Amino acid sequence: MGRIVFIVCFSFGIASIVTATDMDAKRILDRYQALRPQEKKLAMYRLDWAESLDVALKRTAKEKRPICLIIIHAKYGDIASGHC
Amino acid sequence: MLAQLRPYIVTSWHGHRSDANIPDVVKTVWRWKFQPPRGGFPQRQSNVDLALLNPQGILVHTFDAARNEQYGRRGAIQQYTAAQLHRAAPYLGLNNRLANERPVKLPDLSGERGIRLLVSLGDERMPAYRAPVVEVVPMAKADWKPLTWPDKERVVPAATLKSWLSQIYPPGVMERTNPVTKVVYAIKAVEGELKLSSLESKGGNRQAILRGVVQLTDEGPGEFSYQGILEVVLTYRNGEILPQTLRGYFDGLYPRSDRMHRDIRWLPLQAAIESIPE
Repeated sequence: MGRIVFIVCFSFGIASIVTATDMDAKRILDRYQALRPQEKKLAMYRLDWAESLDVALKRTAKEKRPICLIIIHAKYGDIASGHC
Repeated sequence: MLAQLRPYIVTSWHGHRSDANIPDVVKTVWRWKFQPPRGGFPQRQSNVDLALLNPQGILVHTFDAARNEQYGRRGAIQQYTAAQLHRAAPYLGLNNRLANERPVKLPDLSGERGIRLLVSLGDERMPAYRAPVVEVVPMAKADWKPLTWPDKERVVPAATLKSWLSQIYPPGVMERTNPVTKVVYAIKAVEGELKLSSLESKGGNRQAILRGVVQLTDEGPGEFSYQGILEVVLTYRNGEILPQTLRGYFDGLYPRSDRMHRDIRWLPLQAAIESIPE
């Protein structure tokens, strides 16, 4: 079912590809804003991330602050980006 | 829980027990984690641990992110983590008073030009996967060339934009991970013919629209692929042919295999795409 809906949407999308207009640009930018996660969903980026444990250890000595190290038992995982 | 983490410098590390160069603090955490269970009854374990280090870099407290009697209940992981942070606070010189909230600071390239993608998978069965993935991809001058100002409409092969389009894949999809290396299958092919059309010039900047259907195929078995509509608006300074800004979206469906029901679920895979710095 989902695939059928998707194909129909594709058809409408492709049918609208005739000439670019200002209305198209506004519609695209509106869709971009709608899909861009709001700040509430990006709350983990309010934390003070260090790019590696080494960087965090250097900073903690200077800034006298504790470290929260997230350890992932996996070959792959970038918790800062979320692709894990 | 996030409020309790404000005083901390937060970082992450990932790897396997067989790896070389495991940091000492990780070795210590795993020595406790993987010791034989007391009484012979194994406790619930996840593959994620939190380690709290004091400002001298000494491990003060560690806990498994999912070792929790309430595991599976909504909000249980957050509550357990908050309780553990509260417990450790006095030993870290923290008094459990909340530090000031920081503004959201998304990943960037320290002023270098690039493209940021905020990718979301609409999997209603896995709320954790609905959290957005944020990737940044550096863009050298040459990387912008496929998007030079279109004097007349032209076709741009999606493959020429692979460096950033290949970041549109969901997080944590175990079935698209190499079972031997445990590394996620990378996107090997980005296909599609995109049309780049100019808009009438108004005021200072010129605009163009890039759009079409993009198909992404990963390097795993079975030529696994998915597709979606890409539409972006590009701005160009008058007299310049390389884009100044890029904003748009990818809107597609991702075929997630459901092993329990031996079915495929088509989940919305969407991305907001923007050039940086803004």
